[in-house]
Amino acid sequence: MKTATIILNRNLPDVTDRLYEAIARNNEGQTDIFVVESGSERERLSKYYTYWANWEESLENGLRYARGFNYGLTKLFEEGRFKDYDYFFLLCNDSIFEEKPIISTLVKEMERHPRVGILSPCSEEWGERKLLKNNDTKYFWYINHVSWFVRREYIESIMETENPTYMNFLYDGENFRGYESDIELVIKGYANDWASAITTKVTVSENEDLLYTQFKAMRTDEFQVNRGKLVVEGKKWIRRKYGFNSRWTMQLYAKFFYEHFFEYYPQLVEYKL
Amino acid sequence: MNKLAKFATDRRCTLLGVGPVSKNCVDAAIELSNEYSVPLMLIASRRQIEMGKLGGGYVNNWTTESFAEYVIDNDKGGKIILARDHGGPWQHPGEVREKLSLRRAMESAKASFEVDINSGFDMIHIDPCIDVHSQRTVDEILERVYELYEFCYRAAQKNGRDLLFEVGTDEQGVTAQDLDQFEYILSNIIEFCRSSGLPRPTFIVAQTGTKVMEMENVGTFDSPFRLRRELPVEIQVPRLLQICRKYRIWLKEHNVDYLSDESLAWHPKLGIHAVNVAPEFGVTETRALLKLFQDNRLNSCADQFIELSYNSKKWEKWMRSDTTKRTIDRAMIAGHYVFADPRCVEIKQEAQRRLCGIDIDTHLRNEVKKSIYRYMKLLNLLDYLNKGSA
Repeated sequence: MKTATIILNRNLPDVTDRLYEAIARNNEGQTDIFVVESGSERERLSKYYTYWANWEESLENGLRYARGFNYGLTKLFEEGRFKDYDYFFLLCNDSIFEEKPIISTLVKEMERHPRVGILSPCSEEWGERKLLKNNDTKYFWYINHVSWFVRREYIESIMETENPTYMNFLYDGENFRGYESDIELVIKGYANDWASAITTKVTVSENEDLLYTQFKAMRTDEFQVNRGKLVVEGKKWIRRKYGFNSRWTMQLYAKFFYEHFFEYYPQLVEYKL
Repeated sequence: MNKLAKFATDRRCTLLGVGPVSKNCVDAAIELSNEYSVPLMLIASRRQIEMGKLGGGYVNNWTTESFAEYVIDNDKGGKIILARDHGGPWQHPGEVREKLSLRRAMESAKASFEVDINSGFDMIHIDPCIDVHSQRTVDEILERVYELYEFCYRAAQKNGRDLLFEVGTDEQGVTAQDLDQFEYILSNIIEFCRSSGLPRPTFIVAQTGTKVMEMENVGTFDSPFRLRRELPVEIQVPRLLQICRKYRIWLKEHNVDYLSDESLAWHPKLGIHAVNVAPEFGVTETRALLKLFQDNRLNSCADQFIELSYNSKKWEKWMRSDTTKRTIDRAMIAGHYVFADPRCVEIKQEAQRRLCGIDIDTHLRNEVKKSIYRYMKLLNLLDYLNKGSA
């Protein structure tokens, strides 16, 4: 089983290098690691960088997580390496993991749950932790993308097949900042018989300080301004794409496919919330 | 129960509890419920409405007895559900002020409940979560719930009346409730009712992430972002409802004031059975009163009212710790607490003398009606054909 870890960086080479080194140190031989420079400036590239999105628009605005992961996956696809991997570990560079092997644990968990398409380590900062025991995995209809361990078969069942680019490979790049884009992937999963799960077997924490203190280096807006734009753009995207006027409709949509999933797979009901 | 149950099963709606924050608000609720043939719950806290023996409440100087009599007399179609909100020990300011012992506070709460029931209240919310002496465990609080529940049931039986019960507490928090604790409380109350041969409660209150501060809802329900260590409301609400379905009880959400149209419209779709709204209606009325004064150049009336309201300090409990609100905003928040003050009555009388062609209370009542109507419409309480008619 081979895993490709894709780390997104924008102008924070030290942070990204630390994450790269931690993954490499704790998961020797378990994963290839690719750093996607999501519109970084030349002097702020990670020393481990693999792909650099350096066209004008990406340098100006960055790619953000949706377009960034799409870009990394597209490059692997174009290079004929996509099918070399069974799993893709899609990491934002503010992810922090424990000092222990995690890839092998996540692979084992994916093997235990063959209908799981997306597996997310749990964060101690998430309320979802209260719904999970230690060393537990459950299926959710709502998971935010911080660090997702994703099965290739799942990606293949929903990815753009005719003309895959950084705008559409997996995520819909039209939703630039990605509000509710992660939920769209969860929905697409359940609609195609793939569950999304959170596990406490691996925990992640987010270095939220980066968004407050490093926004200038990341060439983004100040935290609250960015949040405002995230929601406004996301809501427009939801309406344009689905005709939904509320995030709650998106939730209902997700819950609908979630419930149906367990009708088809009653043997998995023990993992249902 | 039949009135509520029939209505709520005939259509997918969220029932509305209106805090009787003023006489105009009570009249507005009665008129709307009768005009649209919709049951509305008038949810009286012990601060608002209290038995005569304890000196009544701040609303229109009504006692429980006179309030119930007024509503029953004016509710021509019998649409109003008279409800006690947060009944229980130390829920009346006098009990807190005097730091009553547990036994005395329970006696006082029971006496208050008994007057509610004898006066014709249809529904009782039992909330013994306050203890001025010490923090109590969930099991200790449950013991108090059982004692009060049984007492109220027996009191209703003596009167030959059916009584609806609401249990649980909201403990206004920005965040949502712990689900395990919620189920523990609910399962124990249901088991108590079963083993004691008592009727099951109709509603349970749960904290879904609604919280009123100043003049907005600052809870997570309206927020598109998650809070640290809190279950996202997108998971919390369906999970709470799942637990409620398991125990065949209706979910009642408190502190729903000021929620956005979008969030309110989703309440019936999500299956939230009922909500309570109170201070928003008081603020609506105060805002309308001040605007009326302003529009008609009754500046001295406005100044006097603002001073009276501000000096009452009733705004204090609603303020954020880092508030930047001005005197006028604070007066707006506290206005309804002083409507029954003789000085306020005088100010309104003086204004009325100087106004031509406008009846102040009719105007204020209509403004409050608009505010209540927003909820009725968004909570899908109106018949489809009547939706656009107010």
